[in-house]
Amino acid sequence: MIDQFWAWVFLYGVPALFGILVVTAAGVPFPDTLLLLAVGSFVAQGEMILWQVLVVGSAGAILGDQIGYCLGLWGGRRLVRRITNKVGGADKIKRAEAFSKRWGGAGVFFSRWLVGPLGPWINLSSGITAYPLSRFILWDVLGEVLWVVLYVMLGKIFSDRVQGLAELLGNLTWVIVGVMATTILGWKLFQYFRNSGMTQAEKADIAAKSCITDNIT
Amino acid sequence: MGHSSFVRQRILQTLKTFNWQQWLVAMVFLLVAGFTGLHAVRTLRDAIYWQYHQDEPIRGWMTVGYVAHSYHLPPHILYQALGLPHKPPDKRPLLKIAKSQNRSIDKTRTILQDAITHARPPYPPPPPPDKEGTP
Repeated sequence: MIDQFWAWVFLYGVPALFGILVVTAAGVPFPDTLLLLAVGSFVAQGEMILWQVLVVGSAGAILGDQIGYCLGLWGGRRLVRRITNKVGGADKIKRAEAFSKRWGGAGVFFSRWLVGPLGPWINLSSGITAYPLSRFILWDVLGEVLWVVLYVMLGKIFSDRVQGLAELLGNLTWVIVGVMATTILGWKLFQYFRNSGMTQAEKADIAAKSCITDNIT
Repeated sequence: MGHSSFVRQRILQTLKTFNWQQWLVAMVFLLVAGFTGLHAVRTLRDAIYWQYHQDEPIRGWMTVGYVAHSYHLPPHILYQALGLPHKPPDKRPLLKIAKSQNRSIDKTRTILQDAITHARPPYPPPPPPDKEGTP
């Protein structure tokens, strides 16, 4: 299947690029980073036109993301409701929705271009938690255009070494994911240590304040 | 008592009060931090290697034209090595070409590597392409 995708891109150019980016953004596994770098290389070799690649590539990725969001919104929400009706946990879903409304924009934006492997999952979870569609589209367009422009231009600049560059960027992505996870866990540990020296009254005071803040937001 | 020994004592005291969930967070933190550190070092090493090594491994997704561009060679040399006409340029990925020629991708890669070696010094420069583009 992957060979066929590559063959279509080289034979049919921009229309094939559009189709492949739609399905990969919706969750079909394919090395899309390498694809954009390779397309950048073909632009440098004069076999593709830069503006067409940028416009059509961005449009394909954005459309694919909307499919993922809609799958989450229609299918995913129904599934989650059915599960919570049987085993409970509706309050946790409500909390997840509140979290998504607060942080969803950053999640959508950064998962488009900085931590790409999370993209299809963020699309689904944004739909499941009913993140507002208008805001999803805004962050999605900004992130996807940045992703396409960045990777195609990198491919154009380093047009004779895109395989090595793709491997390097893939590893860098996992380092970024690791740094983010380490920071979150480190912050959690820091809070344990900070709270351990407090009296029960001080802890109760902080808990009360955080409850008030949650209610306000 | 110095500041650092006070901090150490405070950490040890706090660790004694940890429940199993807090221990789990601490273990996962150490695992993730270790994995990230190792991966970061490996990525840095790869980046330095990539910066100084122009030739990259030939992969199945590449076209003959891309391999020629990557190795800074005229494409007709590689088409000729694979027994393909260079006009019009064959845009199929190497995996498809290998399949159509009943060769493994490894064999196709070896043929291309061999042609690349013979097109570079100390071997004489390759001849220009013929006008018909025959293999």
